[in-house]
Amino acid sequence: MNIPRPGQVWKWLLQTRVGRSIFRVGLPESNLERSQAMVSSFLLHVQPAKVHRHSLKASYSMGLGLISLYLLFILVGTGTLLMFYYVPSTDRAYNVMKDLQFVVSAGLVLRNMHRWAAHLMVFFVILHMCRVFYTGAYKSPREFNWVIGVMLFLVTLGLSFTGYLLPWDQLAFWAITVGTNIAAYAPLVGPKLQYLMLGGHTVGQEALTRFYALHVIVLPGITFFMVSVHLWRVRKDGGLSRPAEGGDSVQRIALDQLPTNKSYGLMELARGTTPQVGKNPEDEVFSWPHLIFREILLFLVVAVVLLVLAIFFNAPLEEYANPVHPPNPAKAPWYFLGLQELVSYSAFWGGVVVPGILVGVLMLLPYIDRKVHGVGRWFARERILANSIFTVCLIVAVVLTLIGSFFRGPNWSWQEPWKKPAAMTEGH
Amino acid sequence: MNDTPTDNSVSRRGFFQLTLGWLAAGFAASATAAGALRFLIPNVLFEPSEEFKAGKPDDYADGSVTFLEDERVFLVRKGNTFRCLSAVCTHLGCTVNRAEQGYHCPCHGSVFDDQGVVKGGPAPRGLEWFAVTLSKDNRIVVDKSQRVSAEKYLVL
Amino acid sequence: MQNDSLHKFYGWFTFLGLLVGCLVVLGYYKDEYREWKEYQHRFIQEETKRATTPQQRALAERTPVEIRQIILPDLNRVDRCTSCHLAVEDPSYGGYPQPLSYHPQHGQHPFERFGCTVCHRGQGRATTKADAHGYVEHWDEPMLPLKYIQASCGKCHEAGDNPSAPELARGQQIFETVGCRGCHKLAGAGGILGPELDKVGARRSPEWLKKHFLSPASVSPGSGMPPQKLAEKDLDAIILFMLSQTGETAPGYYASMKVIPSAAQGQRLFQQKGCMGCHMVDGKGGVVGPALDNVGLRRTPEWILKHFRDPQSVSPGSVMPRFGFTESEARALTEFLVHLRDQKVALSLPQLLGPVERGHEVFRKYGCAGCHGQDGKGGVPNPNAKTAGLVPDLIHVADGYTKDELRARIVKGQREINAMDPKRPAPPLYMPAWGGTIGEAEIDDLVAYLLSLKPKGEDAGF
Repeated sequence: MNIPRPGQVWKWLLQTRVGRSIFRVGLPESNLERSQAMVSSFLLHVQPAKVHRHSLKASYSMGLGLISLYLLFILVGTGTLLMFYYVPSTDRAYNVMKDLQFVVSAGLVLRNMHRWAAHLMVFFVILHMCRVFYTGAYKSPREFNWVIGVMLFLVTLGLSFTGYLLPWDQLAFWAITVGTNIAAYAPLVGPKLQYLMLGGHTVGQEALTRFYALHVIVLPGITFFMVSVHLWRVRKDGGLSRPAEGGDSVQRIALDQLPTNKSYGLMELARGTTPQVGKNPEDEVFSWPHLIFREILLFLVVAVVLLVLAIFFNAPLEEYANPVHPPNPAKAPWYFLGLQELVSYSAFWGGVVVPGILVGVLMLLPYIDRKVHGVGRWFARERILANSIFTVCLIVAVVLTLIGSFFRGPNWSWQEPWKKPAAMTEGH
Repeated sequence: MNDTPTDNSVSRRGFFQLTLGWLAAGFAASATAAGALRFLIPNVLFEPSEEFKAGKPDDYADGSVTFLEDERVFLVRKGNTFRCLSAVCTHLGCTVNRAEQGYHCPCHGSVFDDQGVVKGGPAPRGLEWFAVTLSKDNRIVVDKSQRVSAEKYLVL
Repeated sequence: MQNDSLHKFYGWFTFLGLLVGCLVVLGYYKDEYREWKEYQHRFIQEETKRATTPQQRALAERTPVEIRQIILPDLNRVDRCTSCHLAVEDPSYGGYPQPLSYHPQHGQHPFERFGCTVCHRGQGRATTKADAHGYVEHWDEPMLPLKYIQASCGKCHEAGDNPSAPELARGQQIFETVGCRGCHKLAGAGGILGPELDKVGARRSPEWLKKHFLSPASVSPGSGMPPQKLAEKDLDAIILFMLSQTGETAPGYYASMKVIPSAAQGQRLFQQKGCMGCHMVDGKGGVVGPALDNVGLRRTPEWILKHFRDPQSVSPGSVMPRFGFTESEARALTEFLVHLRDQKVALSLPQLLGPVERGHEVFRKYGCAGCHGQDGKGGVPNPNAKTAGLVPDLIHVADGYTKDELRARIVKGQREINAMDPKRPAPPLYMPAWGGTIGEAEIDDLVAYLLSLKPKGEDAGF
């Protein structure tokens, strides 16, 4: 075969002066080079040279954190492109959205992609948080990383919320009206907080300008910084969490698995001190190519899903925002619907106390739960109490959100979505 | 220190798969980049159009030179011929004024004759003539994006 | 030794890579092949066919395929209709199938100044037929059916003013005579039983309005409005008039065009300025100046116009003052006088009318007919009202009320209407208190009018 392999083309490129000046390490051929590919690379050095085999297991982490990160990148990319057309003015924003759909090349696909990636990111960040909880990966030494994670979750909600207003249609306007009204229920600071968020008393041009600034620079800046720290901590805390070596389980090695150049063989591994604490070199593989390739593959999966969504499902755009014509009912974005449902029971307890406690407990979780058992395994028996409590809270949150989405009709009255809505007797 | 040799050799099938995968992904990546670039190229402009309508032929008297302020042009009618002269001085862009004969620029004193040729002052070249056509519903249409020679005019 | 080989992933990698590639291509196709491009190609083909010279053919073939739009910053719109409707300005495409048809009668409203949606409604920024015509979710202003197109004239023009919008004028007339104002406020004047109508044209579709006129309770549950018995043409006219009430204000340039110097405007001015103080029309008026009935025959319109601008310039020694009319007013008055001989114009000086005639005008002005029927004849249903389930007629009020009682009833109204069957819902229509709305003198005239309704020679014992 005369067709040069990609590796050969690359190698040739790297022999040129220009090539060598840019890429200091070529395609790795030796293990040293494989290590260097990570350590010496600007783009890749947040990754370790070697990674534990367990961390590569899709069934363990499901790549949820990675997926969230990819969604963030896609959001930044599509968002930056959209910024070339969007104008944060109450007169013009809506028209820009229409123009994107009708007149701008690839405008519709890019806007759709941005919106779906945003919804998916909130969803996957939640899933990631659940995974970390269920595998006990917030325990020592990863406590602070969990706290950063919770803060990232809140920032993600903030990014989604601020972006939600930008189309300036009925959906956007009223969702943010509801959301900021809920914020106003906080004791003492509530109304002031709302005033600060809106730059006034109503959702208007001031609010749009502020939300835009928050959405394109402030919150993304905070996100990048915190994501960097988050990934850095993953490295420094010893990589992804995994079950303890040799303590929790007994590892049996079959005779034919013995390394060939040893004259004796390991019959069994038992607990106790060994020269290599916590790290078995045979369980580690080079990031290049094992981690990198899986990462690329996962990115392709995310890309496929997003492309399908962006091409076939349009992001909603309702009528132009009309402050005198609220939809009935006016609903917050889906991730706040559970909160809106709670608020409908009690503004103070439902809107402030319960969410406040939840977020507080979440943040302080690793300092409250100081048991060291059960790290690195899904639904470890020892953690049945913690897992149950978390699951119950999760189910309640999901149920509340579902109620808010499907079972609430005009005036927030109960309605069954499979039945026809009752005739509106409002008159005109 | 164990050099765990990963099997780097690729079967023929694996090689094809890999190459095809990389080609497809590479194609998708470049198509995406191209798409992003195309996205940035505007399809419509919100500036005033360079082509505009200037009313009916009968709105202009024979032998008249009419200054259209918004468009910065002079519409010249002689008999049944129409021409359109730019009113933007070629020196530094001021709007020239109609004089008894020709045109004068108030900013630095450039002088142009009735054909737009420079007769004096710092202007480096003559005033431009624009294409004039008649629309299907009998309106004068001037296209400032098309420069023509002074000989070209619309004949009704 | 565990199998670390990545071989197991190669198949997936290929599959996903190809899938991403295909999806990107699919996205490209969806974006590239747009509806409007098809129509433009069709147009270019047609133009090429019609070309008679090689230059024309070359010009036609080189027509760019691009979105065309009309930008209207004053109207805050961008209309892209011409991206598909490419031949609207070309008379040779008259009768051609849409979207390549010619648009007649746009001389007064050039497209580059008015666009399309200001008259036709729809979604100007859209570039697909369904979205542009506006019959889609989340667009409140779909295109007006063509038979109602005159409704849009009302955005800039007074309803009665426009000779090119006779249906609009008729709709307004019907509105005033049928008595809608009795229950509905329009432009600040009217009753309070029903909602204000100032923005009804923006909020309701023609279909809804039709249903509402024919059977109000079917679309407005609980409404007390009686079904309107109107001929088909009248129904369309009043729907059209309702559609013209959108509450939109025409900006600067467009508002200045609001008053067409029409004969109707001229008539209004003629009455306002008191011309009949000196001139006679139809045997009524003053004798200081000549009678004006046939002035259109005696003088040219140009003379009349000059006369309004400066009477002494064409009529030396005339005592007619210079009224300082605007150009538009002068033209309107001229139009009016020129057409005076064509029309039977009912003109009268206010001081020549008696109280009964004035009262009739008050009756009409406040829409009393809406509940009490044309000329007070009754016949308007008020379900479950003790008065035979109808709003009482006013023909015999002279028998039941003294002048003061009638006055008091009009001023104070009657909120509670006696029900025939207390178990059924209360009658929806009631008599509002008109005291604050109708002026003192007007009420006196109205009373005089009502008392005069009793047919002569009748003497009914009550």
